[in-house]
Amino acid sequence: MVREGAAAAAPAALEMDRAEDESLVLRLSGAWRLGEIAPEPRDVERELEFRPAPRVSLDTRGVTSWDTGLVVYLSRVLESCRGRAIAVDRAGLPRDVQRLLDLIQEPVLPPARGTLPAEFLERVGTRALGARDRFRDVTVFVGETALALGRMATGRARYRGVDLGLLLQQSGAEALPIVALVNFLVGIILAFVGITQLRRFGAEYYVADIVGIAVVRDMAALITGVVLAGRSGGAFAAQIATMKVAQEVDALRTLGISPVEFLVAPRVIALTVMMPFLTLFADLMGVLGGAAVGTTMMRQAFAAYMRQTSMAVTTGDIVGGIVKGATYGALVALAGTLRGMGAERSSEQVGEAATQAVVSGIVAIIAACGVYQYVFFLFGW
Amino acid sequence: MIVAEDVITVRGLTMAFGERVVIRDLDLAIRRGEVYVVMGGSGCGKSTLLRHMLGLQEPAAGEVLYGQESFTRASPSGRERFLRRVGVLYQGSALWTSMTLAENVALPLQQFTRLSPRRIREVVELKLSLVGLRGFEEYYPWELSGGMQKRAGLARAIALDPEILFIDEPSASLDPPTGRHLDRLILQLRDALGTTVVVVTHDVASILGIGSRALFLDGESQRAIAEGPPAELRDRGPPAVRAFFGAGAR
Repeated sequence: MVREGAAAAAPAALEMDRAEDESLVLRLSGAWRLGEIAPEPRDVERELEFRPAPRVSLDTRGVTSWDTGLVVYLSRVLESCRGRAIAVDRAGLPRDVQRLLDLIQEPVLPPARGTLPAEFLERVGTRALGARDRFRDVTVFVGETALALGRMATGRARYRGVDLGLLLQQSGAEALPIVALVNFLVGIILAFVGITQLRRFGAEYYVADIVGIAVVRDMAALITGVVLAGRSGGAFAAQIATMKVAQEVDALRTLGISPVEFLVAPRVIALTVMMPFLTLFADLMGVLGGAAVGTTMMRQAFAAYMRQTSMAVTTGDIVGGIVKGATYGALVALAGTLRGMGAERSSEQVGEAATQAVVSGIVAIIAACGVYQYVFFLFGW
Repeated sequence: MIVAEDVITVRGLTMAFGERVVIRDLDLAIRRGEVYVVMGGSGCGKSTLLRHMLGLQEPAAGEVLYGQESFTRASPSGRERFLRRVGVLYQGSALWTSMTLAENVALPLQQFTRLSPRRIREVVELKLSLVGLRGFEEYYPWELSGGMQKRAGLARAIALDPEILFIDEPSASLDPPTGRHLDRLILQLRDALGTTVVVVTHDVASILGIGSRALFLDGESQRAIAEGPPAELRDRGPPAVRAFFGAGAR
């Protein structure tokens, strides 16, 4: 919107005159464009404060070109006059400017928002209530998921088998390469640390015991859980949050399909079912990582290393690791789906949901690991 | 006699998705200050034509000119220069949901002008006032109704005082009174800002209400089969066009 006149180069200028009846005449001239230096509405406000006027007239015959800059200026002047109950004569304005000013509507006053800074106690209270609400939401979500899983078990849930199959493939088979790589490397690291320490006592041949027990009892499940938190937990949250933004979740609800049954339960099942298998696989890869170091650094025979490992690791260790793995899988899936379902209808929330899912998934895994350690210690397992 | 200048010209445009041709050999010229409507049934290529005019899709043949210069053959920076003269209101408003209405309207001003933050705030207030949304600056798009989102999208589209305003399905997903209100607003803004408006729609009431001229795209023959003032096309256009208006009026 740029209206050109003859001499577009002259800068915007304002002259204020008084008529015989003391009314204020504003004479605008030059190019009134956004981004160029122009008089401020404050000048007019000051003049009106200093010397009140019964009326303000506008004369824009000298304006050579204009755009939104002129309209912004005039709208401010008009607002200021309205606030002082001063009548404004707009007859001297170009027709298009008058049309634009006519279009400007009185501000609608939407419901007020809490803009005043809250008091300390109020902030504490608000946060406490927020924490309580979050806790309640998590509890309700876990409860709803448990009920949905129950309905799945009894064949009463509404979900698509093909989705579950795809989720099993995505969170299981497709995760094998990254799980293998990370656990193999963890096995190598454990072996290096073990050898370095055990060598001080001349007991480096026990490195197979240390690596085997550490990997099978805890590290394989823990590391695989962390990998899946980043890989599947984040993806679950992003998928569901995107569906919320696109109102797909609402569409499920209005069809009478529970989103928890349709979206959450299959994901929880997929990770809980696949994690034990992934943990077993991770056990093998971790031990192989340790063996790679053991056989090269200590020139131990591969068969001897594996025999040493099998003597150190018990069936209880393996079962314990698998149970932990299944728990971590369920926690990661719950964290991912909870964050996804909690997202608002904005694209920013999709990223936030994914981030929160990964963070809370990892925190939940580590907390659960601590609890397992304590319980296993208590029972002497 | 004053002849209105053509702001957009389409020459021999063929639009296709791979091997599938949507429209072939399209010629049209849009005059300054008019509301030019592109109409037709679903899937006839209306929105695809809009995407070609905006460079979001490349033509299989032919070109789009802004004024006398080819937009299709322009370099990426040249295209950016052309697009600076353009505002677009998308079918779904396409407001950035992580930003408030004020931030949505302010973004083009922050990116493409050197205005001070105070001046940007004033312009944002003005633009939102023009569409009747003053007071909703701090609201997020998802807190508003569909009609309000459309108006906010319009405020963002006119943030940089565009010479040409493209509007895709203005009344889509709006109730008829809200749709007609938006139509009136588009006309008022066209009259006040002197903007050329290109509207893509299949809403007959909207076409008859705001169109200066209209182009009918026929998906079956893959061609534009009629062009002219909407009322004239409704009364004396080819049978397919009259049938379109007749079906829309029922």
